[in-house]
Amino acid sequence: MSPDDLLNDLRQRSILNDEQRQRIAATERIRPFSLHWELRAMLYAGILLLSSGLGLLVYDNFDHVGHGILLLIIAAACVVSFVFAWLNRPPWTTEQASSRSAFGAYALLLACLLFLTLEGYAQYQYNVFGTRYGLVTFVPAMLFLALAYRFDHQGVLSMALTALISWVGVTVRPLTFYFKTNFFDQRVVFSAIGLALVIIAVALVLERQRIKAHFTLTHLTFAGNLLLVALLAGLFNFDELLPWFIAGLAAGCWLADRYARQEQRNRAGSFLFLLMSAIYGYIGLTYLYFKYLHPASSVADYVYFIVSGIVLIAYLLYQRRSVLHESV
Amino acid sequence: MRAYNETWIENKNVVSQAERWHRRSLLTDDQLTAVRKAYPVGFQTMNGFLEIGLFIFTIIATGGVFLLFVELLSIDDSSIFGLYCLLFGIGLAILNNVLIRRRQFYRNGVDNALVMATTALMVGGFNSQFLDDGSLWQWCLVALPLLAAVVWYYGDTLITFIALAVLYTCLFDLTLEASFGRTLLPFVGMVVSGLLMQATRMIRQRAYYDDAVSLTQWVALAMLLVSVNYYVVRETNWLLIRSTLRRSGVMSPPEIDLPWLFWLLTVGLPIGYLWQGFVRKNRMLIILGVLGVAAAVATIRYYVGILPLNVHLTLCGLFLIGIAVGGIRYLRSSRYGFTDVPDEDSPDEFLISSDVITAAQVAAGTSGHDQHDNVKFGGGKFGGGGAGGGYN
Repeated sequence: MSPDDLLNDLRQRSILNDEQRQRIAATERIRPFSLHWELRAMLYAGILLLSSGLGLLVYDNFDHVGHGILLLIIAAACVVSFVFAWLNRPPWTTEQASSRSAFGAYALLLACLLFLTLEGYAQYQYNVFGTRYGLVTFVPAMLFLALAYRFDHQGVLSMALTALISWVGVTVRPLTFYFKTNFFDQRVVFSAIGLALVIIAVALVLERQRIKAHFTLTHLTFAGNLLLVALLAGLFNFDELLPWFIAGLAAGCWLADRYARQEQRNRAGSFLFLLMSAIYGYIGLTYLYFKYLHPASSVADYVYFIVSGIVLIAYLLYQRRSVLHESV
Repeated sequence: MRAYNETWIENKNVVSQAERWHRRSLLTDDQLTAVRKAYPVGFQTMNGFLEIGLFIFTIIATGGVFLLFVELLSIDDSSIFGLYCLLFGIGLAILNNVLIRRRQFYRNGVDNALVMATTALMVGGFNSQFLDDGSLWQWCLVALPLLAAVVWYYGDTLITFIALAVLYTCLFDLTLEASFGRTLLPFVGMVVSGLLMQATRMIRQRAYYDDAVSLTQWVALAMLLVSVNYYVVRETNWLLIRSTLRRSGVMSPPEIDLPWLFWLLTVGLPIGYLWQGFVRKNRMLIILGVLGVAAAVATIRYYVGILPLNVHLTLCGLFLIGIAVGGIRYLRSSRYGFTDVPDEDSPDEFLISSDVITAAQVAAGTSGHDQHDNVKFGGGKFGGGGAGGGYN
């Protein structure tokens, strides 16, 4: 139904009066076409191309141009972007910043990406951090974390959390994490769990203090995935600690489920935690079933898939109801 | 008679239009409530994350049942297996219908998964019954009517996408049977895309098929861009004759027939898209036009580029930033009917207020699929043509 037909229909059902119908029809006709997101997407693509182009430029020209000059140029670009972002910074508030300039946030993003290029180059060429490789990721993590809070920038917050996670030797990337040998190391698994718990605790405390409470979802998504992946990795790799990891995974899933049900701020987003709880829990359960129950016939396997599948469908449908009802 | 309640789907569109007007303060709260009452929507309220989970677990459970019966009935003959697939598919379709009626599902993961499973089993079963060793195009030709029937009955977008892929595959493969097929191939792509586009314009717009139609338009327009792209044509041609030519010592892709035409279209078509997109204020044409221009730039660089990759990327980045910054500043106040102010056709509305919408819908006892049609098939899916080319 076109807007005009709909307006006539609404008029006939006397939901609208004539004057209102004409007003809406008129605003529909003169309403300008918004290119907001198209332009933002172009800006974002441009920033990514520019920073990867400059990164390549550095990589290809180690030997030709003086290192100092390249370093200076990128440092200058980084500083210019940052100064621009600072001049256009949103006013400091513990709430979500309401007024923001069109370009400040993008300049900050560019400055951060350039900082990474700069840092990598400096470490490669001048060995600034020596063999303390942890610092290479820890420094940007702390810097970006501070910037994210000051500038109220979710993208920089994600970069900070990614750097923080790499810092403990784990890069959480979908599909590659199982193939990285990192998780065969018990220390890495435990530090990942520890980091995840710290992030979760800090995020919840900050939320309680009402400091940038809209960041909580980003924090918890990163930390929750890290925690559950680490617990699964422990389950798969360390038989001697099996009961602990089973208990941990069960507790993690239970907490994610509880959080999704009581979270009030972002209803739609909180469903993600229900999904995480269901999927990570299911992977763990299926692993345990096949490893320890040694089903005798394939019929038992199929029955397992049928029963578990139906139970989880029922769980998701039931939880949907409980989450939606509490929200009213 | 179709799978979902058509009136509810139409009503859902009405209600979401009314909600948009309400957000712009063109309707009062009471009027919105009146609209919700006058246009009831009985579908389940659901959430995207839950739908993903429901889809996955429905597929797991269905697969379990399917394999269980294969095991219990000890089916090992291939023609009996084909028959079993057909019967199982029909059974799933009936189950799906019961669930849709009883639980008021509308694209809630469970029904999507069952539609997928039904279609896969029916197409597979049908083909194994009647075509043991047919060629690819014959296989596709048998599958097409079934896929079309599923699209007609459910209006499902995933199956629409698969049907389109099968249609293109069928015609391309059939063309290659002919001796002059290689030369004809890009033109087949153009004609099919053009006809598909025309077909979507001619049929009466029904709310039931809104998503399927808009997906078809995205695919047709994107495939049109791909089929005329000089790089794609030349490389595909090389892919098809590589093994024969290598034996006679040709080691790199040879020049194609009518190169000037494809160069012209590679550059001209995206510009045409952009032009038409701005004239008609059509988001789809504008987005594909930009991606097409990006693909054209990448193609030109690939064949006649003189700049090294790093300089090229840096310049492209600067250029894009320049255009975007210029556009944002220029459109601060609306000009020529365009503006930089985000409107409710843009995705942020969903991100910001989805919880509000969900709560409101629950409160009113109505429901909706809280997604915006305009952004459902964002450039990503077909971005390969443009975005991938950027790193050649």
